[in-house]
Amino acid sequence: MAELSIANVTKRFGETEVLKGVSLDIADGEFVSLVGPSGCGKSTLLRIIAGLEAQSSGDIRIGGQSVAGHRAADRNLSMVFQSYALYPHLSVGENIAVPLKMRRLNGLQRLPVVGRLMPGARAMADEIGQDVEHAAQMLEIAHLLDRKPGQLSGGQRQRVALGRALVREPSAFLLDEPLSNLDAKLRVQTRAEIAQLHRRLAATFIYVTHDQVEAMTMSDRIAVMMGGRILQCASPEVVYDDPDRIEVAEFIGSPKINILPVEVDEDGQLVLAGRLLDLALPGRGKGVASLGLRPEALRLAGEQAPLRGHVVHSENLGSEMFVQIELQDQAQRVTLRATPHQRRALGLGAAVGLDFEAGNALIFDADGARVRTVAKVGLSKAEVA
Amino acid sequence: MTRDWWKHLILMLGVIVVIAPFYMMVSYSFKSPGEIDRGEGGFFGRQEMMVDERCVKLRDPSRDDIAAAAPDYPGLSDSEIRDALVSAAEADCSMRPVVFNYTKAFTEAPLLRYLLNGVIVTASIFLIQVVVALPAAYALAKLKFWGREAVFGLVLFCLLIPVHAIALPLYIMLAKLGLTNTYAALVVPWTISVFGIFLMRQFFMTVPDDLIDAARMDGMGEFAIVWRVMLPTAIPALLAFAIFSVVAHWNDYFWPRIVVTGNRDLFTPPLGLREFKGDGDGSFFGPMMATATVIVMPLIVAFLLAQKRFIEGITLSGMK
Repeated sequence: MAELSIANVTKRFGETEVLKGVSLDIADGEFVSLVGPSGCGKSTLLRIIAGLEAQSSGDIRIGGQSVAGHRAADRNLSMVFQSYALYPHLSVGENIAVPLKMRRLNGLQRLPVVGRLMPGARAMADEIGQDVEHAAQMLEIAHLLDRKPGQLSGGQRQRVALGRALVREPSAFLLDEPLSNLDAKLRVQTRAEIAQLHRRLAATFIYVTHDQVEAMTMSDRIAVMMGGRILQCASPEVVYDDPDRIEVAEFIGSPKINILPVEVDEDGQLVLAGRLLDLALPGRGKGVASLGLRPEALRLAGEQAPLRGHVVHSENLGSEMFVQIELQDQAQRVTLRATPHQRRALGLGAAVGLDFEAGNALIFDADGARVRTVAKVGLSKAEVA
Repeated sequence: MTRDWWKHLILMLGVIVVIAPFYMMVSYSFKSPGEIDRGEGGFFGRQEMMVDERCVKLRDPSRDDIAAAAPDYPGLSDSEIRDALVSAAEADCSMRPVVFNYTKAFTEAPLLRYLLNGVIVTASIFLIQVVVALPAAYALAKLKFWGREAVFGLVLFCLLIPVHAIALPLYIMLAKLGLTNTYAALVVPWTISVFGIFLMRQFFMTVPDDLIDAARMDGMGEFAIVWRVMLPTAIPALLAFAIFSVVAHWNDYFWPRIVVTGNRDLFTPPLGLREFKGDGDGSFFGPMMATATVIVMPLIVAFLLAQKRFIEGITLSGMK
């Protein structure tokens, strides 16, 4: 177990710069997710940490030691691959035993057939067998040890891959989209199991995924990556409620956050589609900004509401429902989270008014950076008239 | 009859063309010389008792033999004793043609020795080819290094060079090193198989990179990956290559004929066939075909055993 620190890592493939100076400190025993759309460099970063790829510049430290120039094998990290990457010719038990054999047995003891006759080989083989058994029991795959990977289901293979990773005690676990080949139901189940495993092992986990739900549900911290940079790294709650940038706000959260273009007038007050809002950005001049509203931040309101429109689509999920509303003044849709007993008011084509608490609005400036100093102002008389 | 009957007809014709020489070979190996010359006796021949003329000639009684045999034939003249001895020899030397052909095959020349030589030579060639080709193919398929494409281009280029074009320089090289008439001369020129490198490289391209990365994470070095991960996954392709390699070198007549000039102990099976070529003292087609049958038999058996995996390997569908 060890803490891990990534300092200013860049990576270029020819002309393209995939990582543009990534820094991240991960504490011992922490579960950090690297999340972002495909091509954002998250897998490349993981492979650089693993030692499978060399960084162009920057440094990786594991337990305070720089691992620059260390081979993957010498970094004492475990990795679970998206495709599981089990050895097809070895049984489940042999697959899990490989990392132990490669580390505990010497070259002579690893030789086929004669290796068993080498001094100490038998005792070591027994020890490895026990460790494999232990890992298999933890993952509930002890009954599969004699099968070949080809005879297993996707979920079982996934467990074997986990078993191979955790059978030795690595400094950290690296997981590269381990759930993306599973069906939806199994994914939810395995998600919970991996989170439990993390608590049980109290080991450092670095988890790469493009699925923000996985990141939200399992991590201590989420690092949102885009375009080769970490935009924000914080706990799931902070990333969701208090995003630093508009890209983060848009990526995290399902359904997606509603982004409405607003204008800032001379006094810094926000204007949405010609209507003044009770929000102002002190110290800002005339310009444009974006107003971010989570679906649950919107409330149904009467005729005087700042947003008006009509229902164009709704999805009832049982416990909640998501309603798409086309706004009157702008050719834009917003998503509202409603409770199912509000359904009657939300039939297709129904005219609805929406308002929101000023405190739930997320304001981003023209560059997409979050504006945190927002003042609540009373609406001027001119507007009321 | 299905619509594709004509395809089967063409295939059947092809089969006949391919099978016919084998049919002749096996059939001749059963027949007596007379039946072979006259082209009669069907597939198995009539299997009538025949007399081995050479065997009788070898036992032609001398004056001493007749004198020694005289007490056994009381009251007979020397010429009568001689006739009796000759007919006894003829009785001893008469046998079924199939027995004659196959015993001749093994007694006329040290065929077992030749077969052993064949096994030693083909096995050594194949093993060294694998030892060279697997790491080379792995590097060409999975490692990134400067000039990789150029090296692979060279491999492809080498595929275009016919053996016969470089036979003479090779021979001179071996002769200057004093290696002619050794196993080394039979083995060394074939140890680097560009075809093997090419075939294995194509197969390794289909092995997922994740598998190799997983092996690296598990603590394997590059050579360990070749032998512990790539080799076992490449068994079908390796079997296909084995058949190509073993068949080519087991059947090779050209190269052994060049580098093995005197020493019959180094003859490979095809060279053994030369023992029966008719140099004036009559044809030995029966024993010759029996030898040929014995020589091809190991290949046919091996192919039948490996057939399923062999075809898998050719289609490069080893990874499920």
